[in-house]
Amino acid sequence: MRSIPSRRDVLAPALALAAIALLTAPLGCSKTLASPFESVLGDAATPQRGGTLHLATIADLRSTLDPATGTDLAISPIHHMFAGLVDYDEQAHVVPDLADHWDVADDGTTYRFVLRVGVTMHDGAELTADDVKRSAERALHPSTPDPNASSFAGIVGYDAYSAGKAEHLAGVAVEGRYVVAFHLDKPDATFPFLLAMHTLRPTCRSAGDRYSDAWLPCGAGPFMLPAGGWQRGTSLRLVRHEGYFRPGLPYLDAVEWTFNMQQVVQRVRFERGELDLLRELTDADAGRFMTDPRWKPFGLVGPDTTIYGESMNTRMPPFDNIEIRRAVAAAVDREHQRLLMPSRMSVLTQALPKTLVDDPSFEGQRYDYPAALEHMRKAGYPYDPVTGTGGWPAPIEYLAYDPGFDVMTAQLLQQDLARIGLRLRLKLVSYGAFLTLQEREGSSAMSEGNWMLDYPDASSIFEPLFTSGAIAPEGRFNTAFYSNPRFDERVARAHTEVDATVRRALYREANAILCDEAPWAFTLGKHDFIVHQPYLHGFRPHPVWPLDVSGVWLDRATDRALGGGLP
Amino acid sequence: MLDARARARFIRNRSAVAGTVIVAALVLFALLGPLVARHGPLESDFVHGIAADGMPAGPSADFPLGADRIFRDVFARVTLAGRVSLLIAVSATLIASAIGAVVGVIAGYYEGARLRVPWPAFLATVGAIAAMAAGHPTLALVVLATGVAVSLARRFGGPRLDVDGLLMRAVDVMLAFPFLLLVMAIGAALDHTSEVTIFVVLGVTGWTGVARVLRAKTMQVRSLDYVTASRALGQPAGQVMLKHVLPSVIGPLIVSATVQVAQMIVADSVLSYLGMGITPPTPTWGRMLFEGQDYYLVAPWVVAAPAAVIVLAVWGFNMLGEGLRDALDPQQT
Repeated sequence: MRSIPSRRDVLAPALALAAIALLTAPLGCSKTLASPFESVLGDAATPQRGGTLHLATIADLRSTLDPATGTDLAISPIHHMFAGLVDYDEQAHVVPDLADHWDVADDGTTYRFVLRVGVTMHDGAELTADDVKRSAERALHPSTPDPNASSFAGIVGYDAYSAGKAEHLAGVAVEGRYVVAFHLDKPDATFPFLLAMHTLRPTCRSAGDRYSDAWLPCGAGPFMLPAGGWQRGTSLRLVRHEGYFRPGLPYLDAVEWTFNMQQVVQRVRFERGELDLLRELTDADAGRFMTDPRWKPFGLVGPDTTIYGESMNTRMPPFDNIEIRRAVAAAVDREHQRLLMPSRMSVLTQALPKTLVDDPSFEGQRYDYPAALEHMRKAGYPYDPVTGTGGWPAPIEYLAYDPGFDVMTAQLLQQDLARIGLRLRLKLVSYGAFLTLQEREGSSAMSEGNWMLDYPDASSIFEPLFTSGAIAPEGRFNTAFYSNPRFDERVARAHTEVDATVRRALYREANAILCDEAPWAFTLGKHDFIVHQPYLHGFRPHPVWPLDVSGVWLDRATDRALGGGLP
Repeated sequence: MLDARARARFIRNRSAVAGTVIVAALVLFALLGPLVARHGPLESDFVHGIAADGMPAGPSADFPLGADRIFRDVFARVTLAGRVSLLIAVSATLIASAIGAVVGVIAGYYEGARLRVPWPAFLATVGAIAAMAAGHPTLALVVLATGVAVSLARRFGGPRLDVDGLLMRAVDVMLAFPFLLLVMAIGAALDHTSEVTIFVVLGVTGWTGVARVLRAKTMQVRSLDYVTASRALGQPAGQVMLKHVLPSVIGPLIVSATVQVAQMIVADSVLSYLGMGITPPTPTWGRMLFEGQDYYLVAPWVVAAPAAVIVLAVWGFNMLGEGLRDALDPQQT
């Protein structure tokens, strides 16, 4: 008897074939990117005013848009709404912005700023030194939930002010309508870098003397927030500040961010011309844009702003043995790790990213397999790669979070370290658990370390990651629990050293100590890969700010509503 | 298990034969694949596994199914993952079937009756539930086993309980939680996941369907003459269930288990896809899908192979299970 096919008998193969077809369809048809949207005038033309720049991000704006408290995704809008006394230029140098100029006096304990005259804020009022002092006091007041306030603890009177024992911050002095001075307890070479960050940027008088959420953010930057411009959870729209102090800027009428947009959706909408610039690409998509000759001219690689490494807990075996740490540093094939994300990663052989390296001849750590085996021998755990015998006798737990890039690099690291007799066993946890365990003493022998520079200076890496003062209690970032008085002394001296040459020499020594003692095996530097439409001009990846579009202009050939790229 | 007529029905059923062939092929693939793979499943190859544009290499003689995003042989990984995924699915099904059979047969046998439960067993059950709630599963097992052993050693008095009602309410509670959500919650609570923890978790959470099917079948069987006769002759309930009821419900149990293997494959794949499965670098089909998802446009082979074997495995086990059902119980067809 022939069996009569049931509905499921027919449906199941159909579904299966459909699934296979769906998965394999991209083989033939979707690999090619859409064509770019053309520019009318070209880069060499005079910048045109007008237009709205459309951006998107996978995240949501969860903090405030207040310079005193904004974090993460808010940094970019805050940068465009609030100008500072000083800012970073495209080489990451600190340069005057609202300040016309400044000088350093009293052996580095006084920074005196002379403001530009006639700077108009978003509310139409003129910026004065009183606004600078009021904004600084507002940001550093104990009632303000400012995550960066302690960075300014070196200002005279900070302790009393932050403890609520003083009405005013004594170290910020108004010395004239356009002159303001910051007095420090001791010389601090990092102060200009800190001041260039967003925390103390002047706010309008409507912000008041004390922090409050019930305030329409208002500053002196090139763009301003209109009433209703922030649709929480959906979008943010900033419009041009017509009174911006730099004549003619900005060129754009408005900048608009859309939140909570998945990376693939961003790419599709960019291809359709609905987004003008794309920063959050998947690595596969980044590779496609980098290799497509039509898009290649419009892909921009930024400087390294994040360092990656393998953090080894110097208080736990086997990494309390310096020779084992040196063996790891020599066994990691950094080029292999880079190939996992070639569009955004570069090989890192020392604690400082390329932008901060001032001694190109310094070799730092590098892949050297025979040297790694020799370090294992010196450690007392020789390994014979021919017989596969020897090495550290027990598996070593490697902490990683899932999903994350570190799970990929960890699997390569497993292969590299197995060749010198170190067997890693991965322990995957959530990101929250990862941070907690990594910072808790005795919890994790090894884990991925990564650090995004707060500001472009070596102190931004050395102090939070490797000094003795950055070890527990929890919430500190010295995940290697590394402590070396020689290193601490050089970093502390450099912090107060105002002579740039002496300071650089001290940091070179500190860098050499880290590379030799290897609390981290430094592996990769991460940079942005950004692609934009041909009609977007005047954009360069910034070494500090995630996006700086104050000089961007548009000249799109087709109307956005019509859609369609070039053939 | 299959008599001559059932075998004949099974062989005539093309869908059943196709399912058998697919399952057999997958098992052979999982067993023999790693032996013929030209590369180790855990080894990256930065010479041949990487294309000129930096992407994973596509299918070639050296890499029959291409390379994955850390430049390992997809063929070697998908075959090794087959061993892992099939081991997990089959083991989890065995556990689920065993629990489901015990619960289903007892519930069906005592349906409509109130059973005197010896005090040691009753108290041990309450204690075991409390120990589980406090997060001590080992203690719970010890308490339960002790209570049952003591109850069997001599006669005890105890409360009369609606055992069927209690067991089925327990099934209802289990079913109230979405299966995958329950599995994910337990998986997330585990400090370290291995093949054993995954199949145990899947097994102890996946028995409810089997219990319901076998309860219904047992209720039919218990009223048959030969079972009634055994009871009338004074045979203990345990022996009646073991010797007369269980052999009669073994067919539905096998059918149910075969189909459940497919469900376990999907569950294991989903867990791995969500990052709660086996820890890398050990491959599983679900984890391979997850790791390759960003590359489905530029290197589709990274996801095509694990996706295809998941579909084939689920399809094959479903057809085999339905073929067995049709062969063993043609009246339902």
